[in-house]
Amino acid sequence: MIVNRVTATFVMLVLAGLFQATAQAQDETSDSSYYGDLRNVDQRMLTRAAGDGNNFLHTNGNYEQTRYYPASQINTENVGKLRPAWIFQTEVVDSMETSPIVVNGIMYVTTAFNHVYALNARTGEEIWHYKHDMGPITTYCCGPNNRGVAVHGNKVFMGTLDAQLVALDARTGKQIWSTQIADPEFGYSETMAPSVANGKVLIGTNGGEYGIRGFVKAFDTETGELLWTFNTTAENSVGVWATHDATGRDMHRDIEAEKAALQEAGDPYETLGGGVWQNPAVDLETNRVYFVVGNPSPDLDGSLRPGDNLYTDSLVAVNLDTGEYVCHFQYIPHDVWDLDSVSPPIITTVKDGNGEDVKGILHGGKTGHVYVNKASDCSMIRFSEAMVPQEDMWTLPTADGARMLPGANGGVEWSPMAIDPTERLSYAINLHQPMTYTVRSTPYPEGKLWLGGSFDVIPEEQQWGNVTAVDYDTGKISWQVRTAQPMIGGVLATAGGLLFTGEGNGLFKAYDSKNGSELWRFQAGAGVNAPPSSYTVEGKQYIVVGAGGNAQLNYKRGNNIIAFTLAD
Amino acid sequence: MRPLFFLTGKASMKIAFGLLAALLATGAAHAEAEFDVEAAAGQCAACHGAEGLPSDPAIPIIHGQEFFYLYTQLKDYAAERRANDIMSPMAAQFDRSQMKALAQYFSDKSWPAIQTKTQEGDAQLAQRAMSRGQCSACHGEWQGDSRIPRAAGQQPGYLEKTMKDFKNEVRLNAAAKISVMKKVEDDEIEALARYLGDL
Repeated sequence: MIVNRVTATFVMLVLAGLFQATAQAQDETSDSSYYGDLRNVDQRMLTRAAGDGNNFLHTNGNYEQTRYYPASQINTENVGKLRPAWIFQTEVVDSMETSPIVVNGIMYVTTAFNHVYALNARTGEEIWHYKHDMGPITTYCCGPNNRGVAVHGNKVFMGTLDAQLVALDARTGKQIWSTQIADPEFGYSETMAPSVANGKVLIGTNGGEYGIRGFVKAFDTETGELLWTFNTTAENSVGVWATHDATGRDMHRDIEAEKAALQEAGDPYETLGGGVWQNPAVDLETNRVYFVVGNPSPDLDGSLRPGDNLYTDSLVAVNLDTGEYVCHFQYIPHDVWDLDSVSPPIITTVKDGNGEDVKGILHGGKTGHVYVNKASDCSMIRFSEAMVPQEDMWTLPTADGARMLPGANGGVEWSPMAIDPTERLSYAINLHQPMTYTVRSTPYPEGKLWLGGSFDVIPEEQQWGNVTAVDYDTGKISWQVRTAQPMIGGVLATAGGLLFTGEGNGLFKAYDSKNGSELWRFQAGAGVNAPPSSYTVEGKQYIVVGAGGNAQLNYKRGNNIIAFTLAD
Repeated sequence: MRPLFFLTGKASMKIAFGLLAALLATGAAHAEAEFDVEAAAGQCAACHGAEGLPSDPAIPIIHGQEFFYLYTQLKDYAAERRANDIMSPMAAQFDRSQMKALAQYFSDKSWPAIQTKTQEGDAQLAQRAMSRGQCSACHGEWQGDSRIPRAAGQQPGYLEKTMKDFKNEVRLNAAAKISVMKKVEDDEIEALARYLGDL
């Protein structure tokens, strides 16, 4: 921490006050913590987060990313009495995708353009506010979003739109270190929340729309030093010239033309895209990190990128310590529709093809399928029934635009799924947004938007969304509820038998996770397009969610963080 | 600094070429001297406005525009990725650091207010176009950010010309916009231009 001499005294006094305030907060809330003094988040807490009914320590709840919260004080019997406990208004009225993180009564939320707030989770009172000093060059799609922080030790970590990773002091919000992850002029940016495991900050990159070379990187939590990089586009990205996707449908590739293009131009891996938009799942038992890789660049023009374009549109596992490749499974080889893999993977026990329990990986695809893969070798066990209409898959994009469903936003977009491991159900929110796919070949534009055409919404056709529960042991849809608008944001399941998710029209709803019955709703006044979290302070369970709308689908913007608890 | 190709009248062309010649001479005489950003920027004022209000509806406002967008456009003019008879040679005389200085100079200025008259039905047509093209995914609330230019309060004549130039493949330096704009009808473009100008 660096302060100038003039303000040093003042800052010291303020810090002293903050430390005192924090200490008081600890005194008031320490008994409610199952694991003791949580001012510092240690590895044991992060490891055991799935059973922690007081805190919310990971973007998706725990390393397995189940978004299944173990507290049940708020449940199907009493959720009708859920009321706002407090509303905090941030300084930034724009697209909000943050997952609130809660550590022993202190909540960390982020906004568009990389503000971070520490709040008293019981009252909503602001403790500190960090505003990132954004560099002059940013290049990002799709909105100035940020999905939240990671926590470890006394630090809070955030990726930024200008492709930096910053570490803040959790008590004061002062920057401890920052490091440049990649060059924003060439399309690299950060909107995902980082993850922390065994002293490493893990983070991917945006940029699949700008001809980047994607990656997942690991940085030292203490120093910010780069420890390893896994490039998500392989130097030999050709693969096996697969003619069918994971579900067995013909993709109508012109393999001979692709081979000729490869001969002429070589492997396209340096500008092949492959962003990683969302958090990896971490398996400490096997020391593996599982993540999904986004679309190849340019999105719609396959003529410039012959081959399967490994590892785009894939599930990938790497070693946590070294970043070395372990296994992968490609859902869509040579994707020319941007129906890629974005929603974060989930580790859970699933039935394999013989009905035996095995460690599995779930991923909700933009195709509208929930894919179930085997953790040991990444191979696919099954895929679910389609959660949204699929028509004319895989019709190739044309110069005039060809209609095919789903549209390029999904299915399941970046929105994290949740599961209920007791019911063996996964929960996904989906979009139905009919589009046409147009191809127009243009050369690599050095960091500018590089779609190779366009995906255009068909204004005459109705759009809608749904909430869908899938039995991941069978792939069958268990229940489904339609919503008025395409869904984007995220889901939280709880041990109280509840499922929480929000909509672009401002509605935040609770469903019975067994059958999809709507049990409660609240009108937030702006789009609820962020994943909810839960926590418990002083014996009271809360549900918290951001209501700031969404840039991608142009849902009404706002600036509210709203925490709910049961009325007395 | 932005295109002068809208200056079709003889008088306008004379002004433009006169300015160009003056600027070229200035550049030659002071090639080794410290870059005088005020002097360089002064050459832009005749068209883009000394106070930021352009002299013609089809000339863009550059006062208060995003730094990185302006810098990128200057680079593209110089490299003829955004080919223009006037702007390309003007931009080509600056090196990258001078382009950055000019971009910063204009970016630091305040965006001027303009008067725009919308027509009945503009908002609906604009919304239809914006929905089809998923414009908000990049342009957000139209205020601009770094690589994305501010379009809110921009000159409708310039916005209309730009969108039609994309559609008709006249402007080529943002290829992704061409496919998008080809799906938008001309009346929607005109309505969208007025709608954005009025924001």
